[in-house]
Parts: sequence; structure tokens; C-alpha cells
Amino acid sequence: MAEVFLEARDITVRFGGLTAVDAVSASFRAGELVGIIGPNGAGKTTFFNAISGVIAPTSGQLLAGGKNLSGRAPHRYAAAGIARTFQTPRVFADMSVAANIDFGLKFAGRKREGSWHLRDETSILELIGLVHLADLPAAAITPSQQRALEIGMALATRPRLLLLDEVAAGLTEAEVDNMAQLIRRMRDELDLTVVWIEHAVSTLLNYVERVIVLHQGRKIADGTPAEVVRNPEVIEAYLGDEMAEAAA
Amino acid sequence: MNNRQILVRDLLVLLAFAGWALALPHYGSEFVVSMALTCLMYVALSSSWGLFCGSTRYMSLATSAFFGIGAYTSAVCLGQFSWVESILLGAGLSAVVAVVMGLAVLHLRGTYFAVLTFGMTELIMHAVTFFEKRFSGTVGRVLTVAPESDTIYITMLLLAVLAVLASILLRRSRFGLALMGIGADEQRAQTLGVNTRLVKTAGFALTAAFGGAVGAAMAVRWTYIDPHTVFNPFIGFQTVLIALIGGAVTLWGPLIAAIVFSVLAETLRLQFPQIYMMSLGLLLILCVLYLPGGLASLRWDTFQGWWQAGRQWARSWRAGERKNG
Repeated sequence: MAEVFLEARDITVRFGGLTAVDAVSASFRAGELVGIIGPNGAGKTTFFNAISGVIAPTSGQLLAGGKNLSGRAPHRYAAAGIARTFQTPRVFADMSVAANIDFGLKFAGRKREGSWHLRDETSILELIGLVHLADLPAAAITPSQQRALEIGMALATRPRLLLLDEVAAGLTEAEVDNMAQLIRRMRDELDLTVVWIEHAVSTLLNYVERVIVLHQGRKIADGTPAEVVRNPEVIEAYLGDEMAEAAA
Repeated sequence: MNNRQILVRDLLVLLAFAGWALALPHYGSEFVVSMALTCLMYVALSSSWGLFCGSTRYMSLATSAFFGIGAYTSAVCLGQFSWVESILLGAGLSAVVAVVMGLAVLHLRGTYFAVLTFGMTELIMHAVTFFEKRFSGTVGRVLTVAPESDTIYITMLLLAVLAVLASILLRRSRFGLALMGIGADEQRAQTLGVNTRLVKTAGFALTAAFGGAVGAAMAVRWTYIDPHTVFNPFIGFQTVLIALIGGAVTLWGPLIAAIVFSVLAETLRLQFPQIYMMSLGLLLILCVLYLPGGLASLRWDTFQGWWQAGRQWARSWRAGERKNG
């Protein structure tokens, strides 16, 4: 089995009296494509924020490639090869699409040799299919294009682990399939570990190899899609057979 | 125009301005030269303010703190040190104070940052006043050693040119890009690998160094300084106003606005001081409402846009009048 790239140990995040993430442990191996699902408010995004350094966990440890990153600033995570996207695209609106990509290349991506597909601005724009829009300001492209750009910005840091936060939300069915294929392709061709949060469970289950299920801040299941959909606790959490249908 | 051509154009424009300012004392009256000196002072202050505060959108009101620190440094040091050394000391000390101040307040944004920088300026002013009264036994200081007025003018010109040059070069550097990223979305910039704390502190210190150098050079013009004149918050406010009215993110905005301001100040302030303050206020309101990019963002299209909007408004107004009449 491949080495563990990122290991989260007992990550807990509390906001005042509310425990958003409750002692979640998970490890991500190099080259894995893992999905994280859970009902609204299950703590998926908070968990993401904690393992990308955007918020400091209340307690718990985070080891990336043997280095302890807990409590460090987000740029350290980027330097360690952890890249992320945000649920609502946060592109630099006034800069051109190309300059948005260039940003990551100039900072976290500068010190790393990436895959051939991440060699420069143009190659990344080709990968996400935005070459023809390179000179437009990022504010002028459509929301789904901005979402692709958001992924491109993260790729420009030449990461080893890519955290995708609901990249398929709000897309049409055809777009969702394209996105899923892009994610699969990135994992295969760029030598990446991909962790993908999604609300649209059925699409996700068709593409990932492993699923982690969060419910009320706790991890209630961790396994292959086929195993997870048969887990009674998971079925109860989702209050229905949407998942069983998806697996069938 | 490609990147290189823009760089060459900017450098040529800067050279032209500098040449003009350099020639001014040879044919201008004493009044014009003193006006130009104030103008150069505000070019240096607002351009250096814009290179950090404009791009990151951290509104610092601490310019007068750095100005005052510089002024006091040269008042204390000019006896023992040379002119150039005193100015460098003023710049260095201001930068050090900015690093300390920055570590304390640069994690705050928006109003909190602005108010705290203002508060710290007041704190420094009162601390200096206290120190002078208690230990030096004076209220103000007289600067006995002063260089020629030509030297002061050339120094100020050099500082103004340096400030604009720093803006030109910063725009093309990774450091400048990091500042822009912080202004656009600080957290995003962080996740893309920018050490925002370091970049912000360094940018703030750079701005402060210019403030300190300008203060050090300007103090000798006044021969007598006390905390209330050199830490005068108005210096900080005017710097911010000039940068905003000219366009804080633009390269030439602060320079253009500084010229407009100096002319307004010298022509109006003496005869009609109220009108001067009112026109400042009016200009700011007009810029915020109709020209958010500042004077430097004025293009031919802007006028055409206003003309179209004006005609449309007039037409709808006439139509409304017909209906009512």
C-alpha cells in the first residue's frame, strides 16, 4: 500500500459551545481519491478548514509527510503540498484568468517540480479548459468557469494533496459529469491525492474509491462506497434510501 | 502596449516630472518653490502610502506618527550626524516602530485597523510630549543645524522620485503581487502560499520608512518643532485623502492629486481657509461617488459616460415635466 501523505488525529473544532468536528481521525494515502459526505451541518467544510490550516483546530494533530502542521499558518500547508478550493469560488476578480493561475505558480508552486501538466500557466489552463479565456478578468467569466479556475489556482501550487469543497454544487448534470471526469483525470495524470466533499452523493459514489461519512461532527463510516451504503448508521443519518439506490 | 513598454513609459514620465521639479527653483519665485516642496512632500507620502495601503486595502492613519518620529530623529541627531545619516536614521526608526505596531495590529482589518493606527499615533505623540516635559524639560525643540534650502528641496525631490520608483518596481515584483493578493482576498492568498504576516509587516515598514524620511527632511524647514505640529493627525488624513482622490491603487493618482492639492492649498488656504477645507470634502465625496478609481482613472470614456448619463437624465426630467404640466 502507498504511504500515508496526510494523517489527521482526533481533530476537534469547537465554536463556543458548539462542537462542529468531534475527534475525527482520518488518513489519506498518496494517490487516493477519497470522498467525504454527510448531511448539512455535518462538519464537512469545518473539517476541511481544519486540515487546510484555514482555521486552527481546538485540539488534534495533523501530520503531512511526517511534519506536524497543527497550529501553523495556511501558507505552511500550501508549502507542504496541500491545496484547496473554496465552496464559493474565491478567484481574484480584478486579475485576468491567466494571472489568477500565475499567482499559485509564483508562491507555493515555485519551489516544487510539478507534473508535466502543471509546467506553466498555459498547460494548467489547458487542463481546466479555460485557455480561450486567459486574458479576460476573472470577474467576467461564468460561475462554472470560475469554479474550474478555482481548481486551476489550487493546481498552480503544484500540490500533492488537493482538497475539493463541493466543486459540483450548482452545476448541471452534464457539467457534474465533466467535473467528475476532470477530478479522476487529475488524480490519475497529476499523481495527486484528491479529497472531495460533495453534497450530490450519487455522483461522488460512482467515482471515489473510499468514502468517509460525517454526521453531527463525528465520523460514522469510512470504507469503500459499497460498504458504506450498507452501513445502518449511515442509512439512518441520511434517513432514506437515496444511498442504497445510488449503490444499486 | 506590452509590459516592457509600459515600464519604459512610466520611467520616462517619472523622469520628465523629476526634471521639471529639478528646474523649478531656477526660474520659479520663492513662493512657487515652497509650494513645490509641500507638493513633493505629499507625493512622497501618498505614493508610499498607496504602495502598501492602496494595494492591500489596509487603511493606515499612522502616517503622521512616522512623520513625527522622523522629525524628532533629525531634531535630536542633526548635531552629531550628517544630513543624509539623520534622514536614514529617521527612516530606519520609523520602520522599526512600524514593525512593532504591525505585529500588534496587522491581523485586524478595516475600521479596526484604521482606528488602532490612529490611536497609536496619538499614543506616540503623548508619549513624546511626556518624555520631553519630564526628562528634556522642554515643550518643543529648536533646530539650529539646518542645511541649505536647496539641499532640502533636492532631498525631498529625491524621496518623491524614490517613492514613485518603488511603486513602479513593486508592481512588477512578487512582493507587489503578494500585496495585491492580500488586498483581493487575504485568506485565498494565504492558501496559495503567501506568508501574509511577513508581507504585510514588510510593506507597512516600507511605507513607514518613507514617512520617517520625509519627516526628518521636513523638520528642518520648520526650525521649531513640538509634538503637536509634527504628529499633527492632519498630515496623516491629508495623505490618505490625496491617495484616495487620486486613486490609491493607481501609480500616478497620488502624484496627480498631490499637485492638485498643493495648488488648491496655496491659492485658497490663505485667503479662504474654510473654502479650502470644503473643496477637499467636496472633492472626496465626488470621487467616492462618481470616480471610485480616483482622478487617475479618468479617461475620455469617463467624460462621455457622464455626458450620456446627463443627457438621459435631462430627457427623463423633461418627459416628467410634460406629463405633470
